Amino acid sequence: MEQKKMCLALYTGSVDKLTAAGVILGGAAADDMKVDIYVLLQGARAFRKDIGDDETKLNMAENPEMKAEFMQSLKNLKVKTWVEFFKEAKEITDVKIHICGLAGKVWGGTKLDDFIDLADDICGIGAYITCAQEADVNLFI
Amino acid sequence: MTKEELKKLNVAKTVDARGTACPGPLLEAKKAVGTIKSGDIMEVLSADEGTKSDLPKWCAKQGHEYLGTIEESGFFKVFMKKK
Repeated sequence: MEQKKMCLALYTGSVDKLTAAGVILGGAAADDMKVDIYVLLQGARAFRKDIGDDETKLNMAENPEMKAEFMQSLKNLKVKTWVEFFKEAKEITDVKIHICGLAGKVWGGTKLDDFIDLADDICGIGAYITCAQEADVNLFI
Repeated sequence: MTKEELKKLNVAKTVDARGTACPGPLLEAKKAVGTIKSGDIMEVLSADEGTKSDLPKWCAKQGHEYLGTIEESGFFKVFMKKK
């Protein structure tokens, strides 16, 4: 069976949407998909070394007033953090994480070492477009 | 397979994924299937409702044989044979 490809444009830097992206990555990993993640503007902030899955530094995209309940509920259900989801998916299948060069600079990151070690490289938008043209599944989160 | 037939199966591997939420059971199954031999039977215990439809579909995509599901109290057992 030919390996299916997923191309994910990860714009969000909010904890609720990053968690959803993590769950989707889990499904893609179970199916042995090849996944390329392009980390865009707000996403690059979350990938900064001093942020990552420190949820006190991350906002909610929706229902911000319910963040405490949301986080507690995830904890009760033993749901992994978004970084744990991404890490697990990388261990299981071929997941490459590309940080958009512009997005990185917006948040003060210019080299790979400025981001959590899940990131594989810093790229330009051309790489994303090529990947999106070739993918079986395209997502923008 | 009938419930009685499923109960009589010689299970090589039991994956207890009842403590995890989606996609935990799917990923636990994915990891465990790599540890058993072709033709071995694996059962996955899950309390996550979505897994009940996810695992048969996953088996079909991966080429494993889905054998059936037994409902227990508060969880279920999904049986499959590795390709």
